[in-house]
Amino acid sequence: MRRIFASVRDGRGFDIVLVGVPFAFLFALAGLPLIYNILMSFQEVDMFSLGSFIRPFVGIDNYVALFKQPETWPILTNTLIFVVGSIGGQFLIGFGLALFFWTNFPGASWLRGLFLVSWVMPGLVVGAIWNWILSGDFGVLNFFLRESGLITANIFWRSDPSFSLWAVVIANVWLGTSFNMILLSVGLSDIPGDLYEAADMDGANAWQRFWTITLPMMRSTIGAIIALGLIFTLQQFDLFAAITDGGPNNSSNVAQYWAWDLSFRQYDFGRGATISVIMTVFVMFAAAVYVRSTRHEVRG
Amino acid sequence: MSETARNRLMLAIALIMAAIYLFPLYWMYVTSLKSGSEMFANPPSFWPSSAQWQTFAFVWESRNMSRYLWNSTVIAFGSVALIAVLGTGCAYVLARYRNVWVDVGLFLILMLQVLPASLMVTPIFVGFTQVGLLDYPRLAVILAIAAKSMPFFMVLVRATFMAVPMELEEAALVDGNSRVGAFFNIVLPLARNGILVSAILIFMQAFGEFVYSKSMIQDVSLQPASVGLNSFMGPNTSEWNNIMAYATMYVTPILAIFVLLQRRIVSGLTSGALK
Repeated sequence: MRRIFASVRDGRGFDIVLVGVPFAFLFALAGLPLIYNILMSFQEVDMFSLGSFIRPFVGIDNYVALFKQPETWPILTNTLIFVVGSIGGQFLIGFGLALFFWTNFPGASWLRGLFLVSWVMPGLVVGAIWNWILSGDFGVLNFFLRESGLITANIFWRSDPSFSLWAVVIANVWLGTSFNMILLSVGLSDIPGDLYEAADMDGANAWQRFWTITLPMMRSTIGAIIALGLIFTLQQFDLFAAITDGGPNNSSNVAQYWAWDLSFRQYDFGRGATISVIMTVFVMFAAAVYVRSTRHEVRG
Repeated sequence: MSETARNRLMLAIALIMAAIYLFPLYWMYVTSLKSGSEMFANPPSFWPSSAQWQTFAFVWESRNMSRYLWNSTVIAFGSVALIAVLGTGCAYVLARYRNVWVDVGLFLILMLQVLPASLMVTPIFVGFTQVGLLDYPRLAVILAIAAKSMPFFMVLVRATFMAVPMELEEAALVDGNSRVGAFFNIVLPLARNGILVSAILIFMQAFGEFVYSKSMIQDVSLQPASVGLNSFMGPNTSEWNNIMAYATMYVTPILAIFVLLQRRIVSGLTSGALK
């Protein structure tokens, strides 16, 4: 007993305690739920069997029934559109801004940091603001679009099924652009300056320098950022809750919101768990890509 | 073009871009000061004709905001405390050694970091119901947030510990400190700033947390401000000035902290997220 105590105070035991306790905590509150989730996806779980551990085992019925539901494919398509649209917008605008701020004028780094407010704000607040900006009759975005002549009639962003998903995409692009920009700026500043000096001497113009130096040098950063974007986009929940609530008629519903909706609004926890399992596999895949593209840095 | 002229031009363009990007935030503040009729004016006014400051007091009272913000603060502080106590030591060990077990640990942490809360909430909710944790809903939310955000904290703090030279700790051990002593007297003080910044980042996240609170806290008197804002926004609401006033009071403290500590937060974030 005393030897264990001494080891904890001044030896290997110290490290083991420091790592062991958090990992036990994480296992209990993230690992176990993950396993439990898989178990529940093979069970029938509703309000009545919620409290008991023994529930009817239904095999892959949940999975089969899920893919028979008429809304499943549209929602998965929405998820894809949401992910591609959000990542595309965030990345392109973020890259543009990062390149601009890279020119390094006085005040650049402070102003660049200021953009990050969009990212530190609670998602619900971002959603509330965009909900109001995107409002149909009185929204300020419609006003700008009308004034600039892009549209003639108001777009009902939140209630028109062909725009509702894009309403959330717009808000999500705004939210994530700054984070993309900051990380891309880090990548840009890591490119050695003498590469550009050499290219300059060889007579390369700005366009050629971008395609032959900047982009190739940024490849691993870009990979990591796209993967991170995928991870963050699949985590996005608050904006859906605050702007469209998945509606109208599921036209802006995505998998991660639907999983929650099935569990907590329709009380079909088994089916909610089923979607969660499917989506978790996707997210894990994205995470593996992310770890791969940052691996050399992880090992430090 | 001379250097200064170029710099001024770039700064001007940058300011315009920042103004466009931050317009939604400006719109929140302006709307919160407008009267009920001015809010729906067409064309919209970009400066309130007569600022309605009393809206804030009205919303604060009628929506019971002090209670909501108190609950948010309790949840955020609880999560940060739990994460900091458990996560700091772990990050230290992961920074100190370099072997295959550390790689495995880091991989597990990165994997846990990416699990979306809206997917994890189903098993956590059912599990917590079964063990009776939902009788203490705020504690349940704190535990769930801690499990969600701790990996991120560990990654950030590990980067800080990597910057502390090992030689200092070794010197302390040679001088007769125990491992515990060297950790608390030498390593921890040196990494204090990085830990603090990471904790603030986690605090801001937890302060705005929504999914877990919405799903696990049924009792209105225990709900945080994010859930309060959500229930304020009905599907056909027209009280946008009140909602924006609510949002303003909710978000301004976070924005103030961010602007004050911006440099540190940004550098802490960038050192951890890509490394």
